[in-house]
Formats: sequence, structure tokens, C-alpha cells
Amino acid sequence: MSENSETPDVFDPFGIMKNVRDANMESWAKAMTEFVNSDSFTAAQAEMLNAWLATSTPFRKLLEETLSKSMQALKLPTTDDFVRLAEQLTNIEMRLDDMEAKLDQFLESQQQTRYE
Amino acid sequence: MTITMNSNSTNSTSPFEDVCRQWHQSAKNLELFNELLTRDAKIAQTPKQLIWTLNKAKLYRYVPQVPDHPRHRIPLLLVFAVMNRPYVLDLRPGHSFVEYMVKNGYDVYLLDWGIPGFEDRNLKYDDYVLEYLPRVVRKLKAVTGSREFSMLGWCLGALISTMYACLRPDDGLKNLILLTAPLDFSNKEAGGFTKWVSHPSFDPDRIVEAFGNVPGEMIDTGAKMLKPVENYVSNYISLWENIEDTSRVEAWHAMNTWVRDIIPMAGAGYRQLINEFYKENRLIEGTLELRGERVELGRLRANLFNVIAEADHITPPCQSEGVMDLVASQDKEVFRVRGGHIGIMAGRGAEKSTWPHIDTWLGARSD
Repeated sequence: MSENSETPDVFDPFGIMKNVRDANMESWAKAMTEFVNSDSFTAAQAEMLNAWLATSTPFRKLLEETLSKSMQALKLPTTDDFVRLAEQLTNIEMRLDDMEAKLDQFLESQQQTRYE
Repeated sequence: MTITMNSNSTNSTSPFEDVCRQWHQSAKNLELFNELLTRDAKIAQTPKQLIWTLNKAKLYRYVPQVPDHPRHRIPLLLVFAVMNRPYVLDLRPGHSFVEYMVKNGYDVYLLDWGIPGFEDRNLKYDDYVLEYLPRVVRKLKAVTGSREFSMLGWCLGALISTMYACLRPDDGLKNLILLTAPLDFSNKEAGGFTKWVSHPSFDPDRIVEAFGNVPGEMIDTGAKMLKPVENYVSNYISLWENIEDTSRVEAWHAMNTWVRDIIPMAGAGYRQLINEFYKENRLIEGTLELRGERVELGRLRANLFNVIAEADHITPPCQSEGVMDLVASQDKEVFRVRGGHIGIMAGRGAEKSTWPHIDTWLGARSD
């Protein structure tokens, strides 16, 4: 019985996909790449994104405002409070970093003076 | 076809046994396939020490493997993009750019920008270039005691490195290596990304307003959609076909672990990237200002090695080439590699096609 490499392997769950690919993959890939680079796809993608953002934004804003007001009413910190705090911490971290660098510089110059 | 059952024979098997064996193997392969898709590989294993942090950013020093004397005098700082994890530079033992450079006698440092949280949504390139990077360089100089250093920037890391080199030309940057650097967006038809984001209806402000930071999933999908068949179909078929080839599977698994590790991008930085770079091409036009400082490419004096991937669909070669005529560097060279955006550094052929060239160029300028 001769083995035929073209025969799909029934035990390979990807066998059919593999055969399709071997026959068409390159042209399919090229066509899809051309399609996603086309003007029509570019315009459609931008419009779809805008439509989705336009419909979801009012709901999201409403949810954010409601949550924020609820937190304020309960005297709990809001997301904005945490953001401000995090930004302040980063600023402090930067100042500490600058101070550490200046201190290192100072100690180094002191050491050099001592050696001289 | 005659089915013979011969229990005495040890070499020949019956078709029924064949079927069972193949089913068993297929089941095992399927299990492995599933595991590879859902579990992370061990990556970024080159020994390193954390030497500096600021907010989410971290600076690592790789433990030198070469004694002081033959080691190159000038340290090397690696700067990767802000919307991916940097360990693609140190993917797996035996196939890691970091490991390769450390073994070749470089004192290697890696800047990891970290994963931006909602509180980092206002981070811009102004911050990366003028707040973070100068501090990283200061720390690197303090640790090494060297007044000079080399910097390798990849993708948006190359954009950040270039801007830094222009704004701080006297900071000691001796050698600048750019890998697939997106700098020149004058050709709006080159590359899917440029085309998509340059469309008049594409509004990054609305995305940022909606999300704060741009979700990693959105960036990941965008990148994969540039080559949908290759990324969503061929990639997995190729894995299945080679599932019994251990070395290929290891390579695939490590790369997939990196690809799956998606992170968001700071909102303000994204808005700036699309508007000021992709749409308005300010860096090349000479109209870019960071914190009120004009970024002039003519102030870039460091030795420059510009590595371009010829088949790059994310940063097409034309986005990296134009900078060569605008910089003031006396020692500058373009190096073209066959391959894609990531493949030239992390692909299977990188250790032959790209890394040795970087080593040769940098080694001659690092002592």
C-alpha cells in the first residue's frame, strides 16, 4: 500500500485547515493584508470606533459621575483623589532621587578632597 | 487491505494499534498545544540586579560575566518601547540578546518603563525623555563611574532615545543604536498603522477620553490586524505542525509568552504619539517641542547605527531612513536586515543576522 502525503491525516485535528492553508494561505494572507491597508477598511474602522465610543461614552460618564458622587457622599476617596495622590508620590520620588544624586555627588567630592 | 494480528512480532504493529498510537499522540499533542497557549514560558532569565526605580520604571543591571579587564569600558543602556514588555531582549537562555552582549563583555543595563496604571494616564513623551531618561542616565553614570555611555533604543524606545540624544547632546551619549525606529511619518501610505491613524476620522483624543490609558488589548489587536492571517491563523498552524520539535516549540512558547503579555499605554503619550508624530510629523519637520524645548535632529552628535528591518510592517523602512540626513553625527551607518519588526532581534536567525553586527559596530566604539 503506497503512502500518499496528500491524503489528509484523520487523526490530525488541524488536517483540513492545513490542506486549505497549503493551497491558499499565501494568497489569502496577501489579500487580507491588502484589505486591512485599503482606504475603505481604514475609513470603516475609524467610523466603527467612533460610533462605539459615541454610544458607550455617555453611559460610562454617567457611571463614573454616580460612583464619584456616591464616594464623596460617603466621605470616601474617589479615583481622582487616588490619581492626585499617586502623582504627588511620583513627584516626591523624583525629588528624593535628585537629593540622593546630589548627596552622592557631595560625598564623592568630600572623599576626593580627603585624598588630596 | 488485510489486517493481521501478530502478537509475537515486536517491530510490526497492527493498523488498530497504529490508530490507537496516533490518537494517543494526537491527544498528547493537543494537550501540549493547549498548555503552550495558556501557560507562560520561563523567560528573562539572565541574572540581573535592580538598581533604580521611579514610579513604575525600573533600571536593571545585568550581572557581568566577563572580568573587568576585557570588559568594554562604556556601558550599554537598553531602552525598549513603552507599550510592550522589554524582556523580548532577554527572551530565553541561549537565545537572548542581553545574554549575548553580556557574554561579549558589555556592561548592560535595561530600562523597564513598567506597566502604567490609571494614575499614569497623563504621562507624555516629555516625561519619558526629560524626567525619566536623564535620571536613568545619571544613575547609570553613578553606578559605572563612566562619563560616557551607549544607548540602544528599539521601536518607540528608539524614538525616545533619539529625542533624548537631540535634547541632551552633552550628557555623555557616545553611541546610539536605533532599531526599527519610527521617526519619519511623511509617507502617510507607508504601513497600516500610519494609514489607520492618519485618517481624518481617527480621533485619539476620544479614545483617551474614554479609557484614560489605551488598553493593551486595543494595541495588541491593532498590531495583529496588520497581518491578520499570519497572526491569527498561520502562527497556530505552524505551532501544531512543529509540536514535536522541542526547540521550535520552546522558541514559539517564549515568543508567545511575550506577545500575550500586553500592557496599556499611557493616554497622554498615545495622544501625543498619534497627533504630533504620526499625523503632524513634528520631529522630522523640526517643530516638535518637549517641555518648551525644541527637538532638533541637527543636535544629535552621537555615533549612530541605524538598524532597519526590510520586511517591517509596523515601522516600514522609510520611517527610519530619513533621519540619517538630518543628524549631525559624523560617524553614522545604516544596517539593513532581512526580517520583520521583532524578528530581526528575537527571531531564530537574529544571533547570526543582527546581533554580531551590533556587537562589531559597538565594540569598536566602546573602549
